[in-house]
Amino acid sequence: MLAIETGRLSKQFGKRLVVDGIDLRVPSAQVYGFLGPNGAGKTTTIRMLLGLIRPDEGKVHLFGDVLAEHRLALLKRVGALVEMPSLYPHLTGRENLEVTRRLIGAPAGAIARVLDIVALAKDAHRLVREYSLGMRQRLGLALALLNQPELLILDEPTNGLDPAGIHEMRDLIRRLPVEFGITVFLSSHLLGEVEQIAGNIGIIHAGRLLFQGPLAELRARQEKRLLIGVSSPEEAARCLEAANRTVNLRDDGTLTIAGASQADAVDVNRLLVNQGFDVFQLTLSQITLEDIFLGLTKNAETERSDS
Amino acid sequence: MTTLLRALHAESLKLKRTLAFRMVFIAPLLVALLQFFMGLNQRRAAQPGFNLWETIFNASLVIWAIFMLPLLITLETALLAGIEHGEKQWKHLLALPIPRSAVYASKFMIALALTLLSTLTLFGLSLLNGYALIKLRPELASSAPPEFLKWLFVVLKLWTASWLIIAIHTWIGIRWSSLTLALGAGVAGTFFALFAASARIGKFYPWLLPMNSLNLIEGEPRDTLALLIGGLGGVVAFGLGCLEFTRRDSDEPETSMSRRFLLAVGAAGIALAILGVAMQSAKSDPAPPKPSSVTPADSRPGS
Repeated sequence: MLAIETGRLSKQFGKRLVVDGIDLRVPSAQVYGFLGPNGAGKTTTIRMLLGLIRPDEGKVHLFGDVLAEHRLALLKRVGALVEMPSLYPHLTGRENLEVTRRLIGAPAGAIARVLDIVALAKDAHRLVREYSLGMRQRLGLALALLNQPELLILDEPTNGLDPAGIHEMRDLIRRLPVEFGITVFLSSHLLGEVEQIAGNIGIIHAGRLLFQGPLAELRARQEKRLLIGVSSPEEAARCLEAANRTVNLRDDGTLTIAGASQADAVDVNRLLVNQGFDVFQLTLSQITLEDIFLGLTKNAETERSDS
Repeated sequence: MTTLLRALHAESLKLKRTLAFRMVFIAPLLVALLQFFMGLNQRRAAQPGFNLWETIFNASLVIWAIFMLPLLITLETALLAGIEHGEKQWKHLLALPIPRSAVYASKFMIALALTLLSTLTLFGLSLLNGYALIKLRPELASSAPPEFLKWLFVVLKLWTASWLIIAIHTWIGIRWSSLTLALGAGVAGTFFALFAASARIGKFYPWLLPMNSLNLIEGEPRDTLALLIGGLGGVVAFGLGCLEFTRRDSDEPETSMSRRFLLAVGAAGIALAILGVAMQSAKSDPAPPKPSSVTPADSRPGS
């Protein structure tokens, strides 16, 4: 069953279409990475998923039910951390949890449980005013976990954290589906942030969903590329084309061949050397996910400026 | 109902270590201290018919009704809402499985509870004041004992008449995140009460209703109207504010008043003023004698 499903979800602020017909499909009990550059419409989408704002068009389904019709019943099964955590600085960590616990009527034992999960038990008596950014973020996560949610929606949970904090947060998020069966919907503007923990990802840019599917599918688009440094590259390119290879001559004078294997590298090298070219560089490189991500968003950018 | 109780329970915890909670006791203490020193210098003790309790309660309650309570309400509602504006707590609160109306109602009710507590503190301190003054200046002692129930009733009436101001300020505090705006509105409301007091509109002016509930103008009891507009109007204003809050398509307060809103408020104000003037002139001259109508030339003497 899908934890989140949206149909043609759209939202307009003034004249600006911030979210433009998004169809999300988020499978249960795994981490879903919601990727996109800043200002792509991630937070607006998340606000609609939580019923904080109403979509202009389209519907949000959580666990198969329409959010607008069963908001309170569905939100009981959802925990959320939107942007920076909303904490009361004049209260202690434990008191912050107690405020939300009273509001949602969770059992008293819930506080100890979530403090334990985020490893804040020994700092729970301190005022939040004195907390570091990482501790605040962990307390925000603890707040989201208070009602034992089946679905956790996290908006940029590692924003502003130092590398150690990011690492801690990532470990925590990775554990949630495995240990508690929680579906995690995680937004980020960095692919590196989610690529190690997400099963599925969606890439949003300028309000549109450019890609959605298993990370493996995106990985399959990764192909090896042969980079060749050679004397007189124009002639070398013609020579390779004569041998039925698609060559790309780059501005810096190097040649590239897409989708190349090791055997191709050996062939190309032999051919060029036999023809009397001096080969001084031969690199078989891998396109990273980051390249694909950037490529996708860049394509969308040029399409938009063209139209 | 249980949701509302839970929301109130949560709300009470948020008051810990806040200025909002301390002010509940500081405000009546200031008034009581003023009364205490005035009592020490009281010269009318020897006059016949002097009643210490009457003097103390009347003086304290007038300051409270016209000045201290409206300002306290302004400050309390602004601080209570400010607790949620500080770190954009609304997006957390409104994503919780509780109705928006419970969130709004709990804010209003906490403001009601705090002002009641504060007003009752003033009641207690005024009694204390009386006993302390009698101890220090035995000649001030009245023959009559303090009428607890009478004054308690007066104090509760005063508080009830202030519900409308509380409802208005709860809405303003939550709608706009700016503390300056909320305080400005309260100070302006309290300030204009001074002018409204002598005008016909004074009967209806929200910031004057607690004062009106004291019935200080002889021969013109205003307390029933004050309770009706203040109490009932307060409930209605709360309902409207709550409706607006639950319908709003946003989890963030406005930062400043939009031009459209200011225009609407201005237009409503002008319309009310015109209505007031029209009513006043309609009542003041039931049979307008013809000669009294002045020609434009007459009205410009010296031109």
